[in-house]
Amino acid sequence: MHKRCQTTLPGGAVLSNVLEVDSLSVEFRINGEYFHAVHDVSFHIESGETLGIVGESGCGKSVTSLALLRLLTKNARVSGEVSYKGRNLLDLPDREMRQIRGNEVSMIFQEPMTSLNPVYKIGAQISEALRLHTQTTPRRAWQQSMEMLRSVGIARAEGVMGEYPHQLSGGMRQRVMIAMSMVCNPQLLIADEPTTALDVTIQAQILDLMRKLSKDLGTSVLLITHDLGVVAEMCDRVAVMYAGEIVEQGTAKDIFHNPQHPYTRGLLNAIPKLDAASKERLQPIEGNVPSLTRMPKGCHFAPRCPLVFEKCRAEAPGLFRVEPGHLSRCWLNDAQEGN
Amino acid sequence: MSEVLLEIRDLKKHFPVRGGISRIGGGAVRAVDGVSLEVRAGETLGIVGESGCGKSTLGRSILRLIDPTSGVVNFSGRNILKLNRSQMRAIRREMQIVFQDPYASLNPRYTIFQTLSEPLEVHGLFDASERKHRVYAILERVGLDPSYASRYPHEFSGGQRQRIGIARALILQPKLMVLDEPVAALDVSVQSQVINLLEDLQDEYQLTYIFIAHDLSVVKHISDRVLVMYLGKMAELASADELFANPLHPYTQALLSAVPVPNPDVRRERQILQGDLPSPANPPPGCVFHTRCPIAEDVCRREIPEWREVKPAHFTACHLVKGGTP
Ligand SMILES: Nc1ncnc2c1ncn2[C@@H]1O[C@H](COP(=O)(O)OP(=O)(O)OP(=O)(O)O)[C@@H](O)[C@H]1O
Ligand SMILES: Nc1ncnc2c1ncn2[C@@H]1O[C@H](COP(=O)(O)OP(=O)(O)OP(=O)(O)O)[C@@H](O)[C@H]1O
Ligand code: SF4
Ligand SMILES: [Mg+2]
Ligand SMILES: [Mg+2]
Repeated sequence: MHKRCQTTLPGGAVLSNVLEVDSLSVEFRINGEYFHAVHDVSFHIESGETLGIVGESGCGKSVTSLALLRLLTKNARVSGEVSYKGRNLLDLPDREMRQIRGNEVSMIFQEPMTSLNPVYKIGAQISEALRLHTQTTPRRAWQQSMEMLRSVGIARAEGVMGEYPHQLSGGMRQRVMIAMSMVCNPQLLIADEPTTALDVTIQAQILDLMRKLSKDLGTSVLLITHDLGVVAEMCDRVAVMYAGEIVEQGTAKDIFHNPQHPYTRGLLNAIPKLDAASKERLQPIEGNVPSLTRMPKGCHFAPRCPLVFEKCRAEAPGLFRVEPGHLSRCWLNDAQEGN
Repeated sequence: MSEVLLEIRDLKKHFPVRGGISRIGGGAVRAVDGVSLEVRAGETLGIVGESGCGKSTLGRSILRLIDPTSGVVNFSGRNILKLNRSQMRAIRREMQIVFQDPYASLNPRYTIFQTLSEPLEVHGLFDASERKHRVYAILERVGLDPSYASRYPHEFSGGQRQRIGIARALILQPKLMVLDEPVAALDVSVQSQVINLLEDLQDEYQLTYIFIAHDLSVVKHISDRVLVMYLGKMAELASADELFANPLHPYTQALLSAVPVPNPDVRRERQILQGDLPSPANPPPGCVFHTRCPIAEDVCRREIPEWREVKPAHFTACHLVKGGTP
């Protein structure tokens, strides 16, 4: 019924990476000069896998995801390669790109109003998306849309189908958008802070739905969030971003149980934990994220790093391998340093 | 134990529903529907509950930023709902609020100095040089460089703006601060800076906090006692440690089981609530939670459960929780 998870290339080679991003960089023009918002980012997602991207506000998570689908504004300059099932999305003609977007690859945006059309009713918007990409009757599409709304926790689905976006609360709009992104059974779902605006009981329902989608249909998920609890619960692998770069990458267990980069450790230390003795003092990372126009020369994290040493300020570290599949961008992980 | 600073009795805030939009017509949104509690001086009371359950409305009613429909709000022993305008203005100095969105709540055309000195001017406090001295002192206290005083809000990050909001509330040296989702817009590392700051300030000035949030781990961390609300009503109230160790109300239990834990080894069985999300304009009969409650029985659909102390200092409103007296 549904497409197989693996892509077989002519010649019989089997590809299990749905998405491979290689050296993706994004620069923005600010006052006539270009500055990196995303720098040399590489990762892959296998079919059926959920990859999380975490990091502080402004570190480039949304810009990365928008670049994948070529949705950035005109002042952006993008380089690198984004290979979706073997095709580089960055070179694809607009028409083919539109075919892929919203069908095989769909996106949940951080700000729901950007992808809902204010002048169409909810029912029309969801079933239209469905009819555009699948051969189904208007009636079936309507029915399927309504079921989808129910499964994202909108009990009053029938009523909501006939309403306009502005008649819904923020959390309901968010769920409508989630429904719209899932209704076509995408191969790859890019979800940018999908549940941040929702309370935990509704969040649990949505995360459950995403898990089901990836288990039943082999959908791969790129999940962007700054909620580390959500990441631990959902992701197979995690990329931690700081100031436009991936600073650590590994399995969820690597990241939570054996974090290497001082920034990752700082993030994990900063969260209050439900099982902690109450009134234990929190440990923030001191200082602020550097701005795009004033990126430090060496390691981007050096000004805030508790372990900083001379080399960090002079030279930018590469991504060093800690273990197979576990990478860290910190001089302390450089085997040559003799640590 | 310290004295009771705030006492709320049967507080209600109903917003009229204008005809046309709602099919029910002529009814009211029961945003806060009968809340009674006491807050002691120096204490932090956390308030949690689903989006739209009435947390902000309760916070605003306590400060009389909106006028409650009925009930009593005693602050330092006086019912503030009975005060006239000038009496209210005098007492407002002692009760301040910090809002969720640190940007929307700051005037973009005021410098930080103007923002912080305005409350002092409004209340006719101090001469110009003393005001200036206090503005710089408070900036320093919330961890901002005094040189920031001449800058405008858009030049600051979210965490810095939230510090400015806190400084503005604090400069009047209030007794009570209502913190309405003060860290929701901040990411974890900035969030922990702001929480630590709030805790230090509380110790230093013996402040009383009402802390509204939907992040349960933050609430557990900062609160002495926690109130769980559902659809305008109180569902459960206990000390933070007791509530998290021993939740009794099925809604509290669902809420706690839904919190994602930052540990990939603990992918727990979650209790996912089914059923209709009711509207506060048309609350279900009986227990307001029965439409989504996993253990609801007949009595829940018929009768409103009483608010009872089921264990010492542990209150809940649920028919199926045994023990205790109303
Ligand atoms: N169109 C644009 N023009 C110029 N700068 C931009 C543009 N879009 C984003 N930026 C900048 O790029 C950086 C990365 O932004 P991005 O939106 O990716 O952050 P984020 O990691 O998604 O943060 P958040 O968690 O707050 O959503 C920020 O410094 C932002 O100000
Ligand atoms: N001015 C108003 N007029 C009409 N209804 C209102 C008004 N303010 C709030 N409400 C309604 O009262 C109910 C409670 O709202 P309130 O803002 O107190 O919720 P909350 O618990 O703070 O939610 P959140 O977690 O989303 O901030 C909601 O149903 C809301 O729509
Ligand atoms: S390279 Fe240096 S500054 Fe950067 S994270 Fe490692 S120790 Fe800290
Ligand atoms: Mg973003
Ligand atoms: Mg609120």
